[in-house]
Amino acid sequence: MCASVKYNIRGPALIPRMKTKHRIYYITLFSVVLLGLIATGVFQFWPHSIESSSDWNVEKRSVRDVPVVRLPAGSPLPERGDLSCRMHTCFDVYRCGFNPKNKIKVYIYSLKKYVDDSGVPVSNTISREYNELLTAISDSDYYTDDISRACLFVPSIDVLNQNTLRIKETAQALAQLSRWDRGTNHLLFNMLPGGPPDYNTALDVPRDRALLAGGGFSTWTYRQGYDVSIPVYSPLSAEVDLPEKGPGPRRYFLLSSQMAVHPEYREDLEALQAKHAESVLVLDKCTNLSEGVPWVHRRCREHQVYEYPQVLQEATFCVVLRGARLGQAALSDVLRAGCVPVIVADSYILPFSEVLDWKRASVVVPEEKLSDVYGILQGIPRRQVEEMQRQSRWFWEAYFQSIKAIALATLQIINDRIYPYAALSYEEWNDPPAVKWSSVSNPLFLPLIPPQSQGFTAIVLTYDRVESLFRVITEVSKVPSLSKLLVVWNNQNKNPPEDSLWPKIRVPLKVVRTAENKLSNRFFPYDEIETEAVLAIDDDIIMLTSDELQFGYEVWREFPDRLVGYPGRLHLWDHEMSKWKYESEWTNEVSMVLTGAAFYHKYFNYLYTYKMPGDIKNWVDAHMNCEDIAMNFLVANVTGKAVIKVTPRKKFKCPECTAIDGLSLDQTHMVERSECINKFASVFGTMPLKVVEHRADPVLYKDDFPEKLKSFPNIGSL
Amino acid sequence: MQSWRRKSLRLALSASWLLVLLRVFPLLRLTVPARPRAGAPQGWPRWLDLELLQSFSQPGELPEDDPQPPPAPRGDSCDWGACFDVSKCRGGGLKVFAYPVAGPISDTQRGILASIESSRFGSVSPDEACLLLLLSLEAPAGECSPLPQQWNSGRNHLVLGLHPNFCPQTFQLGQAMVAKASPTVDTFRPGFDVALPLLPEAHPWRGGAPGQLGQHSPHPGVPLLALAEERGGWRTAGTEFSACPRDGHCEQDHGPEQTHPGATLPNATFCLIPARHPDALHFLQALQAGCIPVLLSPRWELPFSEVIDWTKAAIVADERLPFQVLAALREMPATRVLALRQQTQFLWDAYFSSVEKVIHTTLEIIQDRIFGAPAHSSLLWNSPPGALLALPTFSTSPSDFPFYHLQRGSRPAGRFSALIWVGAPGQPPLKLIQVVAGSQHCAQILVLWSSEKPPPSRWPKTAVPLTVLAGQRKASDRFFPHRALSTDAILSLDAQSSLTTSEVDFAFVVWQSFPERMVGFLTWSHFWDEARGDWGHTAEKANEFSMVLTSAAFYHRYYHTLFTHSLPKALRTLADEAPSCVDVLMNSLVAAVTKLPPIKVPYGKQRLEASPPLAPGGPDPQPPAQDCINQMVAEFGYMPLVSSRLRLDPVLFKDPVSVLRKKYRSLEKP
Repeated sequence: MCASVKYNIRGPALIPRMKTKHRIYYITLFSVVLLGLIATGVFQFWPHSIESSSDWNVEKRSVRDVPVVRLPAGSPLPERGDLSCRMHTCFDVYRCGFNPKNKIKVYIYSLKKYVDDSGVPVSNTISREYNELLTAISDSDYYTDDISRACLFVPSIDVLNQNTLRIKETAQALAQLSRWDRGTNHLLFNMLPGGPPDYNTALDVPRDRALLAGGGFSTWTYRQGYDVSIPVYSPLSAEVDLPEKGPGPRRYFLLSSQMAVHPEYREDLEALQAKHAESVLVLDKCTNLSEGVPWVHRRCREHQVYEYPQVLQEATFCVVLRGARLGQAALSDVLRAGCVPVIVADSYILPFSEVLDWKRASVVVPEEKLSDVYGILQGIPRRQVEEMQRQSRWFWEAYFQSIKAIALATLQIINDRIYPYAALSYEEWNDPPAVKWSSVSNPLFLPLIPPQSQGFTAIVLTYDRVESLFRVITEVSKVPSLSKLLVVWNNQNKNPPEDSLWPKIRVPLKVVRTAENKLSNRFFPYDEIETEAVLAIDDDIIMLTSDELQFGYEVWREFPDRLVGYPGRLHLWDHEMSKWKYESEWTNEVSMVLTGAAFYHKYFNYLYTYKMPGDIKNWVDAHMNCEDIAMNFLVANVTGKAVIKVTPRKKFKCPECTAIDGLSLDQTHMVERSECINKFASVFGTMPLKVVEHRADPVLYKDDFPEKLKSFPNIGSL
Repeated sequence: MQSWRRKSLRLALSASWLLVLLRVFPLLRLTVPARPRAGAPQGWPRWLDLELLQSFSQPGELPEDDPQPPPAPRGDSCDWGACFDVSKCRGGGLKVFAYPVAGPISDTQRGILASIESSRFGSVSPDEACLLLLLSLEAPAGECSPLPQQWNSGRNHLVLGLHPNFCPQTFQLGQAMVAKASPTVDTFRPGFDVALPLLPEAHPWRGGAPGQLGQHSPHPGVPLLALAEERGGWRTAGTEFSACPRDGHCEQDHGPEQTHPGATLPNATFCLIPARHPDALHFLQALQAGCIPVLLSPRWELPFSEVIDWTKAAIVADERLPFQVLAALREMPATRVLALRQQTQFLWDAYFSSVEKVIHTTLEIIQDRIFGAPAHSSLLWNSPPGALLALPTFSTSPSDFPFYHLQRGSRPAGRFSALIWVGAPGQPPLKLIQVVAGSQHCAQILVLWSSEKPPPSRWPKTAVPLTVLAGQRKASDRFFPHRALSTDAILSLDAQSSLTTSEVDFAFVVWQSFPERMVGFLTWSHFWDEARGDWGHTAEKANEFSMVLTSAAFYHRYYHTLFTHSLPKALRTLADEAPSCVDVLMNSLVAAVTKLPPIKVPYGKQRLEASPPLAPGGPDPQPPAQDCINQMVAEFGYMPLVSSRLRLDPVLFKDPVSVLRKKYRSLEKP
């Protein structure tokens, strides 16, 4: 490209010396060349170039062109659904095998048009929603086009609405699918089961062992842990724009908006309306709408016309009564409006009930208690109602609002059954994003005081101060609960002293040589650490007494999920500069402890090394500073708890400035530390550090009590 | 010259043409094919006539459903809405009547009946009860007790059996709910029946052994896996499972393995439990041991599956894929292992360690169904301290309880109510009122007047509202959930207590960091008296403590509700008879909930010597109710108190810095 451009630039300079005849010829030629080049460039940089389009590999065809399959009248029928089916009996899990990504593979049969012997179609070829559903699966990570690798098969035969199909012939169509094999690992989606007069609560099409994702299961037809109960999709979800309305009290306490309500129940509702005229609104079909007004979008009370589904946003609770079918599309509209559904449908299996906690978003009332519904709802505390309103809207957003959401939630549920060790948790399914964000899940949540006998492992990070290191080793080895000493030798240019030169101590001493001089080596989860408690100590901390260290370990046992350390520090908000500031003066508050001398649970080493957010770990190693602040952030963020500073203040030899010496550098040091706090707060997206006004001392510290009877007499000596 | 030019021109031209051809032609080639290349994944087609597709349901079709009358419950199948009459439970809430057992009665059965009677659900007459409980005999077939008179085809009845094999009256169950051990998935009716754990013969009926987990994370040396054996023991294996054939049995010895005798608990990170029925017993053993149960296609319903989220404590895997399961276990992230382990212990302690807990959990589940919406949330069931200790009658919102603030990222409110108990001497605590009212965190002062003398008509003017409540002159009245207690924090005081405002302020700030614990000034400790063979407690100064005196302590108001509604009646009576026992009871109650010691904050020693000790029992270091602590242990079934060796002081407490720098300087006055 470059070369040719060069020639082209030079080209025109030659032209004036040529004959006119040739000139025209050449100009034409060059214009062609230039045009070609421009065209190339345009193709190259066109934003939606053909090559990058995801649609490239997708067939573009007409539904009318799909192949026609003739089903002979006598072709085999599957058996009726087996009610005793469970995953471990009817599902062939071997097809799913082991997948390192823990994702099932789903195959979709290609679309066919089925006709009977006389050429009459068996059903509508495919509905808009089923096409949307298959598209969603096809676009997802679950999809495979390789039938031999698939674990789950989705027929393209549309059975969403039983009323639109011929039952026997549809079953025959299913049975002739290439991998049908009694329906094993086949998944059918149905939203409107049954038909007049008895309205079965599950699809009537015989389907043998196939799994059914059905909208409207009852306890009698639902195979727990095998079928999936799904919502009945409300087409209004896509048609009407309904902005979110926050929780809180609304104009009506209770609303009923359904049109086909059994007379007996309508009587009950009307009685409620009569009793609580102000707070209950019972709507019905409009009888006197003018031509052209879409009656689906209107509801009426006597002559008052209300817009649907907008009116749902005016009510706190909305009744969702069963009709002939248990599953009602109204549920979706109600959830969307942030109206708490009051579900009156005995034995109905709520959508996705295997994973969704409907107690948080709905009230289930037995049908025979419909007349008491007002009193039942009044008994729910207001705060809980608001919580339910928020939860309702969240359920709609996550699992109801589109066909795609419904399809993916269904596959996720089946996936969770097959790879239970990788399944989504209750919180992941049920907590709205705001709750997920604000809540803390402490990795060490069990209240537990570990046994003293376990002891702790001291980890000394050192570079070359051998003399000081040996003193630290000697001092620490006097602590009764020390069980092992680990020296992290961070100097690659120098070998550690010979074995014979090391102090002789009563516990095992191990030296770990590191590959690089990095501060994060201090927090590496070494295999040598066998105890839960770790004491991180610098190679120049010789001023801590044995009593102080032993007491520190005892305090850690009472707070095993916290950083328990000696020198404390504080972060402050600098109003002038509008940023965080590091404070090491004598303050009444503490929010960090220095890891130059601190006890903590070894799990935090794992977190520091493998789960530190953002680039903090590399940043610390590059700056050779602030690894302790990073650790304080990490622990406070994951546990939501403050540090514990133990024992009175001591004169530490500026324990945090091991890298630099001299007082003149102190100022730069503080600035750098402040920068660390600001940097980490921005990476964590919050300020996790907690400020407290207490420290831990022995029970009898400075009390008028014989010193020799105190457990930890030698505390606080300077 | 000319030819050179022409040559170079021609060269330039051909180069340009070549370039154009090279760049444009592939594009042309790519735009041409109408069919996708073979081998590339083919998705679902994008239909050209997508717009023509019709909706699965025509507008109006859904509402046009023929309204149908409600179906009658089908045959012998039942569910909660159809077969339980909730209206009987309105008003009094869940009241349970247990039919007396005819004939010889076993210890466990006696225990069950006693624990129902003593619980807050207990009822003496079958007429006022809304749930009638029939204890199923584990008798050999044919010796079933006759159905009781009030049977009413089983409506509002619960048939309870701690063993999976009922006597053959099962087919007559009618509309009764069944609570039995390890029911098979096929007969279990979710939301109606209750799945119980399969308990061993010698399961303690109260208290129960604590979980075996000594530390949060697995010890590095511990084997990864233990396999439940048919004989009842456990076989542990190292990290190599290649020897385990498909059915999950490891027949050959590979690596370090050992077989444990039946009684011992497994010591491993994961406990593999095959599908066979009696292995439900192994399940509880694994829970107690803190060994994560890996259930291979269990055919039985997991205990209390209606409320317990077992995915947080166990792994249910497919027995047909043993290698995949083992690989997944090996690769499980440390974070998940840590969480699962801890959850097993929490569940064991909260719901399974004794027969009483199992029974109470069963009743609590049924009560939750009756409550409908305002019942325990999943969070309350599945995080410490568990639903039995979080009473839904107190609140349904987790942030009202002292335990869930951290998980929810919330904080307790920043004010407290001082509750001053005025006992027999009847001296109005005027000085104390001024001290407490001086605290910036004080919201109100409540004086609980429990003296024979009438309260004075005039009280000092204070910055905060002061209310006088008429007490009932019973020690347990101190911990009654008075309506006036509106703040989360309570500062419990005696008329004789002597504090400074600084001490109150500091203690409250500490309590805000530990809202689930008691924060106090004066301490007692408990000890095991070898000579007498029982527990004792002392007020002597010591290096550790396990109780703080309620004559000056901060705690959450929820503990009043718990004290009044959850503590066994016998213990509340004990408190009234021996007033100094209330401290032991309150501390034990809080410790039983939190499993943690209380917190001590500094207390000026000069007054400790000058005034008589705050203990109502007088200067005697051994308070009079010696038996109090032992009765408490008997009722709890274990010793709940936990010792602490630390005191929380202000950060600069007695440090050699200028006193002007210190916020709580008056705490240090000599």
